[in-house]
Amino acid sequence: MSEDAILVEGLSKKFYRYHSGRPWTFQEMFLRGADWRRKRHEFWALQNISFRLAPGRTAGVIGRNGAGKSTLLRLVGGVGKADRGRIETRGRIGALIDLGAGFHPDLSGRENVFINGVISGLTRKEVAKNFDSIVAFAELEEFIDSPLRIYSTGMQMRLAFAIAAHIQPAILLIDEILAVGDYAFQNKCLERITQFKAQGCTILLVSHNTDLVRRFCDEVLWLEAGALKAYGEAEQVVGQYLAEMGARTRHLTPETSSVQTASTGAELKLNENRFGSLEIEIEAVNLYNMTGEAIQELESGKGLRIEIVYNAPQPIAAPIFGVTITRSDGLVCWESSTQSALLPVSQLHGKGKVILHLDRLDLIEGQYFVDVGIYQHEWEYAYDYHWHVYLLSIHSAQGQKGILSPPHHWEFMVAENL
Amino acid sequence: MLHTLIQKDDHRLIYLFDLLRELVARDLKLRYRKSALGILWTLLNPLSQLVVLNLVFRLILPLNIPNYTLFLFTGLLAWHWFQSSLYAGSGSIVDNRELIHRPGFPVVVLPVVSVLSNFIHYLIALPILILFMLLAKIQISSAFLFLPIVFAIQFVLSLGLIYLLAAFQVMFRDTQYLLGVFLFLGFYLTPVFYDSSAIPARMQFLYRFNPMVTLIDSYRAIMINAQSPEWLHLMIVGLAAIGLLRFTFYIFQRASYRFVEEL
Repeated sequence: MSEDAILVEGLSKKFYRYHSGRPWTFQEMFLRGADWRRKRHEFWALQNISFRLAPGRTAGVIGRNGAGKSTLLRLVGGVGKADRGRIETRGRIGALIDLGAGFHPDLSGRENVFINGVISGLTRKEVAKNFDSIVAFAELEEFIDSPLRIYSTGMQMRLAFAIAAHIQPAILLIDEILAVGDYAFQNKCLERITQFKAQGCTILLVSHNTDLVRRFCDEVLWLEAGALKAYGEAEQVVGQYLAEMGARTRHLTPETSSVQTASTGAELKLNENRFGSLEIEIEAVNLYNMTGEAIQELESGKGLRIEIVYNAPQPIAAPIFGVTITRSDGLVCWESSTQSALLPVSQLHGKGKVILHLDRLDLIEGQYFVDVGIYQHEWEYAYDYHWHVYLLSIHSAQGQKGILSPPHHWEFMVAENL
Repeated sequence: MLHTLIQKDDHRLIYLFDLLRELVARDLKLRYRKSALGILWTLLNPLSQLVVLNLVFRLILPLNIPNYTLFLFTGLLAWHWFQSSLYAGSGSIVDNRELIHRPGFPVVVLPVVSVLSNFIHYLIALPILILFMLLAKIQISSAFLFLPIVFAIQFVLSLGLIYLLAAFQVMFRDTQYLLGVFLFLGFYLTPVFYDSSAIPARMQFLYRFNPMVTLIDSYRAIMINAQSPEWLHLMIVGLAAIGLLRFTFYIFQRASYRFVEEL
């Protein structure tokens, strides 16, 4: 056996799809005969996946929906059986998957902690020893003896994560952890994952959030349609992945030469300063100062409000809105998205407005662009992306070097005042 | 069968014990938490049946069996344990979808939980049975020491059937309906409210293929007649039950890789 914490070799997993659905009852089976078996076809959810992960390393798994990420994670966790290849793991496996399995609304928080803790792989003694710490982590001291049914969804998720956070696994499997709780608690979760990492835990993390993958992972597996498309250093693979997303956007951008006029009067030309499939369109981007006047110029250190008016003729599920402020030479000064701000956007249909408030913008004097995009919910491609269309001039009395112009002052003291 | 579960590992053994304990406790708490009658609910079902059957076979169609209430109750309790275990157990995989999907969760414990929970219901009713014994002026004899053997055999038998039923239920969702039909018929083909000796001698051989016949006879031998059970019959059923369990456990384990995909 090797020294790897996780060793996967030539792993393949097959699923069946039944054309008319397989019979779910004896009754149906007898009525239809053996006919349904012929009408199925198989597809490979995973094909010939090989990788090894040394103890203490963190690997991210990225790829589109249905690429086989979760299937891979579960197989490593011993759920299901591979059709080909082998998987070896060393040490206790913890999983941040299906948090709250076994939770029951009619039992109290305390009872649920014990049940879920044991289901997660702790003994009763271990749960009892960690009980206070679990409750403190979840910040649910007052409610712990109330039935779970009075808990909000957020509270339940907090409790579930708190239990999972107290397993001492050698290998940790994580599936889309950021679906948990509010912003503050999500940070706590990320902190806990950082701790796991520091303790030498080997982590396999599935996420659509490429920022998160970049931040946590040493290496990245990129799955596409069940096959390993790329495997290597995190920066590099995420870079490739994002580049392909960009290519996909260009590919999906309609090849018309129609020129539209942006809200500021600038021309919008597809494949020049506008990219995307246009399933949702950005109809206007307006910049305002704090007193509500439409502006193109702003004094450094003042607040800025960016309003994005969109139109979704067809319903679009959970798109991501992103804003980037770039200097005219292309340097990215600041970036934010509804995903990184953990603002869930539900399904959009029709017209609407998304507003980004910047309390203050401390950039040095110069010419900037506000680049605005709406992206598919897994960042697969852009629906509409306006690049270097909206100009913003920043004025400042301060120096012209560097990037930032934060509020500051100098103080001078002579020795006797110290 | 157990050593695959236990893997010679103390920690693992403690863990499995704790897991069973928590899951059984969850079952019991959920059943009784929200009902005013609480634990009485366990007893209500066999007791109501006891009243009705008593009425029918004492007054309307007299069977003339001595200590009929006690006789009936020993049969009813054993049958209830068997029937409820099979019902709960056959759904134990399908009803616990989220547990099946959890890495590291030992799926094989779920059927055990069903049999255990229902065994606890049996134990809760046992004092009432003993009360009936005292009312019938029957002493608790040393034959009671054999009771755990009969329990163990019924346990293994139920579990052996459940491993097969639970795996089938995942593939075919009408397994439980079919089971209902079989249990309904089984109730009449098992000496719950009549005595097994009432079956004609030429049919006894066939009749004994139902393992519950021997089990219920054994309970009655111990609790009513203060005798040891008929060892030969009991041992045959015991061995058959162990063979069945080994076989169905193997089937269950092979099928369990598919559970994730089917649920």
